[in-house]
Amino acid sequence: MRQVRASALSAGMYAAASVIGAIAFLYPFWLTEVQPTAFMGMAHANDAPLMTTILVGACLAAMIVEAQGQAMSAKLIALLGVLIAINSVLRFIETALPGPGGFTPIFFLIILTGYVFGARFGYLMGALTLLVSALITGGVGPWLPYQMFTAGWMGMSAGWLGHLRVQISDVGLPGLPASDQSTIQNRASRIELLVLVGFGLMWGFLYGAIMNVWFWPFAVGPAQQYWTPGVGALETLQRYAAFYVATSLAWDVFGAGGTVMLMVLFGAPTLRALRRFQRRFAFNYRPHGGSEAHPDARAEGLTHVAR
Amino acid sequence: MSRDNQTLHSLAWLSWVSATLVALSATRNPFYLLLILLCVAVVSASALNIASAQQDQTSSGLQPIRLSPLRFGLLVTPLGALFNALMVRAGDTTVLSIPSAWPIVGGAAITLEALVFGALNGVMITGFFAAFAVLNTVVPARALVRRVPRAFYSAAVVTSIALTYIPFTLRQFEQVREAQAVRGHEMRRLRDWLPLFMPLLVGGMERALQLAESMAARGFASADAETLGATDQAAVLTGLLALAAGWLLNTMWGHQVAGPLMMLAGIAILALALRAVGRRAPHTPYRREAWRARDWVTVLASVVVVVAMFVPLPGLSRASLIFYPYPALSAPELDLSIVALLMCLLAPALMLGLPRR
Repeated sequence: MRQVRASALSAGMYAAASVIGAIAFLYPFWLTEVQPTAFMGMAHANDAPLMTTILVGACLAAMIVEAQGQAMSAKLIALLGVLIAINSVLRFIETALPGPGGFTPIFFLIILTGYVFGARFGYLMGALTLLVSALITGGVGPWLPYQMFTAGWMGMSAGWLGHLRVQISDVGLPGLPASDQSTIQNRASRIELLVLVGFGLMWGFLYGAIMNVWFWPFAVGPAQQYWTPGVGALETLQRYAAFYVATSLAWDVFGAGGTVMLMVLFGAPTLRALRRFQRRFAFNYRPHGGSEAHPDARAEGLTHVAR
Repeated sequence: MSRDNQTLHSLAWLSWVSATLVALSATRNPFYLLLILLCVAVVSASALNIASAQQDQTSSGLQPIRLSPLRFGLLVTPLGALFNALMVRAGDTTVLSIPSAWPIVGGAAITLEALVFGALNGVMITGFFAAFAVLNTVVPARALVRRVPRAFYSAAVVTSIALTYIPFTLRQFEQVREAQAVRGHEMRRLRDWLPLFMPLLVGGMERALQLAESMAARGFASADAETLGATDQAAVLTGLLALAAGWLLNTMWGHQVAGPLMMLAGIAILALALRAVGRRAPHTPYRREAWRARDWVTVLASVVVVVAMFVPLPGLSRASLIFYPYPALSAPELDLSIVALLMCLLAPALMLGLPRR
């Protein structure tokens, strides 16, 4: 009963933080009735970014505290720390030797670790990678909470995608000859990689599109590309699409294309390596004379292995 | 002189950066923006003096890659002006007309007002960048990690491990690269990075395995500690919902009092819940930063700046904070009281000693 209540509250926290975060990011698209309250409507423009940043920061804090509270053991902390270090080094190298346009290698590992190790791990991997890499590249700024939140979403949604893997690998294997099973597994692996490529492509564009939104309502420009209070949701969407195409699309093409290429070229061996270590991390320490696997091992989907 | 004696407490630096951001966000008056930028530049020069005296600020020897705020400003300000002028068809003073045959921007009249407003936006962004550059220069990443509230203990440990392992990972990257080069491996295409990336990943995870074993052997008890109970979850959820409700009240329905009050209530509930979670997190401070009188002065000066920007104090012309160049450019107002209050942003430089050159 207690476990059920904790799970329900946990799901409630994720859902609330995600929905509120999404509303905070996207409110220009549905908030159409704002009345300008002072000179040229600038009073609203002055306080809105601050309040929205507070809201996004609170959602980020709630999701981090939930993810770390439920999922963190010494093994996962060590693994996450080292994987974030690797990803931050990739960003460090990319900062020193910039790739074309918005190319960045960090999405690749965020997606794959979320996919293999689950949504909570993926969320922390995304959010903390952006934090650590910002610390080492001097990239701390007001944009950081938004970047952390968006990258966290990327890792978390990759974790949900991980359920697909279970379904693919479970299809029709019992009773088949070994050669057929191998064919099905190969096909499943190919489908899995294709899905991940598509997922990387989608997030390559989505990350840029989401990150634009945090400043777009407060930017000033031609009416057909910028938000003004009072325009309808469809009109806002059209304006944002025009703004995105004019300012960000070319940039994000490199970001999405780079992630796709990394996924195609490095995806399969990286997945194999991550899964191998997922199995190697499936051990649990217990006091001498103990007989039961620790509940945390079950919660993490780990089996009890005596070493 | 030890490192602690040369600089301010990290919280004092954070308060100064916050005040600078608030001041930059609250005005488009070019006089005030330039004054804030000047203050940040002076503090930045002091910070660089400190940083040059602290070659060991990152114990790993890893030097962050930093773009100079001056270069950033020289890039962003003209670009901002140009972009705004190309995109905004407002303003009375036409400087140039673009032929209508040009794609996207064809037929636009570039106005002086649009150029000025774009440039002011560029100056503001440069100020943001410069303020954070000061923070990045003078406050080591580890000091920032230490400031993470105890409720985020596990996340802070992860961040700390990551920061510790970055130099090892870079070193490993170099070793793998050299080993592959000796074998004749050339880096021509993206595919050629695979023999570098895989050893880096596998080696890193091997180290994670050893680290996990070491942590468990030394009694790292994270797996046994229940850090987030049902009451904490419910409190965090309530705080979040109250915060969101206040934000909606303020932003959507224009409740200028009830909205912020509800937001404050949500923040208070969240803070209490996180405090309760943090109290259960194991924490052993080995080295505390010293808090001195100059830290108080910096924090007070920062508070003065924030108050000047938000509170309608008698004798202050807050209207002078607003500068809107459209439709015709006019001279911005200047209030000497606001100038004097903005000068409080110089506090860190005055406390640490003005730069010699």
